[in-house]
Formats: sequence, C-alpha cells, structure tokens
Amino acid sequence: MSEHDTPVSRRTVLTTTSAAAIAGLAGCSGGGSGGGGDGGGNDGGSELELLHAWSSGDGNAAIEALIEGFQEEYPDVEFAEEPVDGAARSNLDQVVLNKLQANDPPSTFQTWPGNTLDKFEGAYEDIEGDVWNEDLKENYLAGPQEQAQYDGSYVTVPLNIHRINNLFYNTAVLEEAGVDPESLSSPSDVVDACETIATETDAIPFAQQTSGSWSTVQLWETTLLGQAGIDGYEAFINGEGDTGAVESALQSVVDLSEYYPSDSSSISFTEANTMVMEGNAAFIHQGDWAAGAYSNADEFNYGDDWGQVTYPGTSGSYLLNMDSFPYLANNPSPEATKQFLSYCGSAEGQVLFNAEKGSIPPRSDADVSSLNTFQQDQFEDFNAADNQPPSVQHGLAVSPGVSTNISSAFSGFLEDYDAAATAEALINAFN
Amino acid sequence: MRNPLTILRQRLAAHREVRADGGTATEAGSILDRDSVRSAPFWLPPFLLIGLFIYGAIIWNIVLSLTDFQGLGSPDYSALDIENYVIAFTGGTPSWSSLTVDPVWNAAWNTVVLMVSFSVVCLAVGLVMAILVDQEIRFENTFRTIYLLPMSLSFVVTAKFWLYMYNVETGLVNLILGAVGVGPIEIVQNPELKLAAVAFALIWQFSGYAMIVYLAGLRAIPTSHFEAARVDGASTIRMYWRVIIPQLRTATVSALVVLTVFSLKAFDFLFSMYGGYQPGPSADILATRMVREAYANGNWAYGSAIAVLLFIMALTIVAPYIYTQYQRGEL
Repeated sequence: MSEHDTPVSRRTVLTTTSAAAIAGLAGCSGGGSGGGGDGGGNDGGSELELLHAWSSGDGNAAIEALIEGFQEEYPDVEFAEEPVDGAARSNLDQVVLNKLQANDPPSTFQTWPGNTLDKFEGAYEDIEGDVWNEDLKENYLAGPQEQAQYDGSYVTVPLNIHRINNLFYNTAVLEEAGVDPESLSSPSDVVDACETIATETDAIPFAQQTSGSWSTVQLWETTLLGQAGIDGYEAFINGEGDTGAVESALQSVVDLSEYYPSDSSSISFTEANTMVMEGNAAFIHQGDWAAGAYSNADEFNYGDDWGQVTYPGTSGSYLLNMDSFPYLANNPSPEATKQFLSYCGSAEGQVLFNAEKGSIPPRSDADVSSLNTFQQDQFEDFNAADNQPPSVQHGLAVSPGVSTNISSAFSGFLEDYDAAATAEALINAFN
Repeated sequence: MRNPLTILRQRLAAHREVRADGGTATEAGSILDRDSVRSAPFWLPPFLLIGLFIYGAIIWNIVLSLTDFQGLGSPDYSALDIENYVIAFTGGTPSWSSLTVDPVWNAAWNTVVLMVSFSVVCLAVGLVMAILVDQEIRFENTFRTIYLLPMSLSFVVTAKFWLYMYNVETGLVNLILGAVGVGPIEIVQNPELKLAAVAFALIWQFSGYAMIVYLAGLRAIPTSHFEAARVDGASTIRMYWRVIIPQLRTATVSALVVLTVFSLKAFDFLFSMYGGYQPGPSADILATRMVREAYANGNWAYGSAIAVLLFIMALTIVAPYIYTQYQRGEL
C-alpha cells in the first residue's frame, strides 16, 4: 500500500462509520414502534407519537390489543410509540410536561380525564365534530361525556371505566358468618356486617391497606356518596361540601377501621386482596381492578367463590375512574391522531382494550359478549345507573392542587383517625 | 504535527524578550508556562461542566424561586420577588394560585429532628462498633463487612424491608417487643413513632459507614498513645474518653457531613415506605414537600424556594466543615 492510499481509506472509514451511526439511530427510532411490524417508510412528522405508562401487565396487553386493532383498520398510520418507563403516571406527566414546554407535544398521551386536565391547561384543542361526532355523543352516557370536556369543549376521549364503588367479598366467609351481602343497604350496614363476621368467624372482616392514603380516600368518597347521596357528593367536589356530611362519612370509616387487619399499615393493596382470595378476609372495598387478580387465580371463580355488590348505599351510582387520550394543540400528526382517537371512541376499539384491562367500555352500545361475566354484569350496572359521578382519588373530580390537599388530609387521618379535624382539612382543601 | 499552543507560547514568549531588562524577567516566563495554564486541559473541562451543571443549576434554581412560575409555559424573569419565601414562612394565598398554601415549618422541623437524631445516634453507634471491632478480635473483616453491607442496599429495598420489620403481626420488631412483654404496637402509621421509626431504619443502614470512618481514625492513632495511657494507669473507659476519642475529631466531622447529607435525602425512603410523597404530617420532610409542590401541583417556583431552603440547611452543615479544613490547610 502506498502512502497515498491512507487518507482515502480514512475517509472511507469515516463515511462508513457515520452511515452506520445514522442507520443505528434510524434503527432505534424504528425499534421504538413496539408492535409496529414493518418498520419501513418512516415519514418524519406524520408518525403518531403515543405516550403511555402501561409498560407491563394487563395495561400493556390492553394497549397492545388496541393498537393492533387500530392498525388493522388504518394500516397506513405509523407509530412512534414510546411507553414511558417506570410505569408511574407522575413520571409520564413529567415527560409530557417537558415536551410541551419544549413546544414538541406528543400526538396524545394517557391521562385521567376530568379535572386532571387542569395540569396542562391551554395545551388541548377542541375535537368536537372531528372526533366527538354525533355517534359518540349519543353513545357516551352523561357522566363520562362530561369528563371528556375541559371548559365546555371536548378535548379527550375516555377509553375505559374502572368502577370505584364496589364491595368484593369471599362467598365462603360470608356464608360461614351468615351475612347476606345483598341485604346491606347503607355504609353503616357494612360496619354491622363486619361485627357479625368478627364474632362468627376467624377471618378479618374488612381487608384494607393503610400504608398509603389512596385506598382510604376511595373508601371515604364511596361512603360519602352512600351517606350524603349524589347531591351531597357533588356539593363536596364543587367545593361547597357540608362539613357535617364529610365528618360523618369519615366517622363511618373510623368505625370500619376497627375491622381492618391489625397490620394494615404494613401491607400493600395486593396483600390485602390476597387475604380475600385465600379466605382470610371477608370484604374488600376497591376499584374493579381487584377482580383482575381473582380472574387470574385458579379455583377462585366469580359467583361461586367471590362476588361483588355495589357498595351499600350507592346503588344507582357508578363511581368513575377512567383513562383517556386527549388531543394536544400543535399536534405533530393531526390526521393520524384524530383517526386514532376516533378508534378509541369506537365500540370495537374499547372492547378490545377492556377485554385485557378488566374495565368496561364507556360506550353504552358496546357489544360486551366477548368480555368476562363479571365485566358484563358491571356493564349492565353501568347502563342502568342513574348517575356516573367522577372519583376524587383518581383525579377526575378535583384539580391536581385540591387533590394533593385531600391526599395530605388523609395522610394525617391515617395517623390519628381524627374525623373532625380531617373534615375541616377536606373542606379547606378547596380554598 | 505542531501544537498550536506551542506556537502561541513561542510568540508570547518572544514578546517578553523584547522588554527583558535583567535576569529576573526570565523567572516569570510566559503566562502559558504557568502550571495552572499548562494543566488546563485536565482541570478545565470538569471545572466548566461542574460549574455549569452544579453551580449554574443552583443559581438558576435560586432565580427560579424568585419568579411566579407555575403550571405550563415558561418562567417570567422580569418580575422577581421574595413572595415564595414569605409564603413558605407564613403561609397564605400566593398571587400565582387560588389555593391557600401552608407554611413549611412542620416539614422543616421534621427535617431537623430527623437530621440531628439520625446523625448523632449513627455516629455514637458507629464509634462503639469501631472500638469493638478494633479489639483485634477474630473474623474482624467478616464483622466489618456485615456491618457495612446495609449501606450497599438502596433506600427502596430497605424501606420495604422495614415496612415488613415493623408489621404489627409478623414483624421482627414487634415479635421481640412481644417476647419482653411489650406490645404489639402500631409503628408505621403511629404519629408518635413514625419519624423515630424512619430514623431507626436509617441508623441501621448507615451506622456501618460511621464505623468504617472511625475504624480508619482509630488505626491512624499510634499504639504508643494506648500504651502510654495504660502505663499511666488509665482505665479503658478513661483511656478512650480522654486520649483516643479527642483524636477522632476529623473522622467525626467528615462522617457527620456525609451522614447529614444522607438524612436530607431520606425522600427515597419515605417515598417507598408510604407509597408516594404523602408520608403524613408527622413524617413529612422538606424533600417530600418540595416534590409534592413541584411535581403534583406544578408550583415550580414555590418548589424551587423549598429546594433553596433545603440547600441552605445543607450548607450550614457543610460550610463550617469546609472552612475549618481550609483554615487548617487541609484543603
């Protein structure tokens, strides 16, 4: 080799390296598309950038089913799907916030609808007509439809509904205690039933975790709905709550706390739920994700081994916890995003998603025959409900600042169970 | 290949020669001959990076805390005021929010209590362990490793572990209490024990570190000091109290600084133990409060103000240490 060759071969090396680097980068962005499949034909800006935190478990299966169904219907839309690692919602919000502040919004992202939308106030765009057409408006019930709006305009599409006002029970334990769950008609009946269970059996009457405050917020909001009715509940979430009603709901939770597992502060929701599955506890109050664990367990069947009733006192209400996909202004892929959101609003897409997620479709015309029996029963309840109030704990009913105040109030409540002081803090949470 | 620096230096040096009037000028030499300049390629990049990302970020954070930055958008640096600090100390409704904001006294007090109790007890336990391990016992290395191991675990692991340890029914702490006829007692959500329980768990985790630092200090003390004390007839306790421990001052201060900084970072521990940044009023520290304000409520400027308070607290611990080190010429 002559000396003359050296620069040429260096240049060749450089060119090859940079080509490889570019190919590598392209490969990375292609790899991010998850279930994308073909990978080719990246068309720059028109890719649908969908951010979500469902990176494992039933949530991941659900979003994959949804995307698969969408791609069958719209094969031309490319995904730059980037689930946010860590799977925590706050982490996802942080990523979205950074992108919004850099003026680089994603196409859409997973969020609770309702007042949670406050967090990115001004970043959404009205999709009435394009996505929220007559078909959607006709088939979403009033409650979920209201949660899809921010300041009176439709900005997001609710995809699923988890119900909060459930009381799950272990059939064998209740039979042993001689308690008929259907006969309970108010939150105080639950306390009485727990007393019976405590005297008649060795089981823990009411499985609950108290290391974090969220389960207790849920229980309290359900109790408030059961005692003060829909009017009292709505007054509270509008910041005009009655201190007496709030306190009496808290007192009811205090009464119930006598029947918690003695180590409730050291256990997690999963452990509390397992107590019910193993027959060590009778009741658990939770969102219907609790049932997801039951259907995964062998020999623990709906109807025979476990059952669910609407939380006593709240019949006629379907207390909502939803996930949704909003439309962001300055959208990187307007057409594709609207197609995707329309698919999220379709009965077909919702059934695919909810079959995996364990929740129910928000559309009242959905064909739920492919869902499990429990989901079908819940869906029937949903369609028969008089009202669908939003949940406090799950961000629908109150704005993020108020929600933080409420959680703080409950983290204090878990320390001293002081109903009067907590009631005052809850009312003040809105000021 | 000629180094451009070399060329430049030669040119500068040439200039010097022009005004050279005696023998002394050559000693000063070129400005580029100075050690600090010649070593610049080694210290300058890290200096700039640290300057930008640490001190630059601190200054930016201080400026941010003077704005009204909240929610989306970008901070407005044209109107700076100390409103956030007033709110932090007195509470009230700030101009950037419709909600009342509580003052930070409770969290600040908890932070101080945690910091002081954790650091002091940790040092005491570490010292005792170091003295015991220093008695030329068998399996000394094994003991040292065992005591130091908890420190290698992350806060997430130790928080979950202590959540189990404190369990009323099955936790080891309550089993031991039960064996001596006490309890069982609720610990995790007990307002009187919560913070103590957190401090205890942190002490368990970090006293091994204090031990290692003290052990190094003990080994540095010449054997003659021990022997002299013995010859003079000092008892063991008297010997350590009067002769040995006073010589461990440097070890104490350096361990103290590290431990204090760890206690300010107890956020991870509380976050894992209480499943979020709501540990409850009796265990709420400035770090949890800060994250709550910034990331849950989007009150960025107010969160920054709390961060500055936390920074000042850390500084009041570290600064005297650095200053005395500087005075003794150890820096």
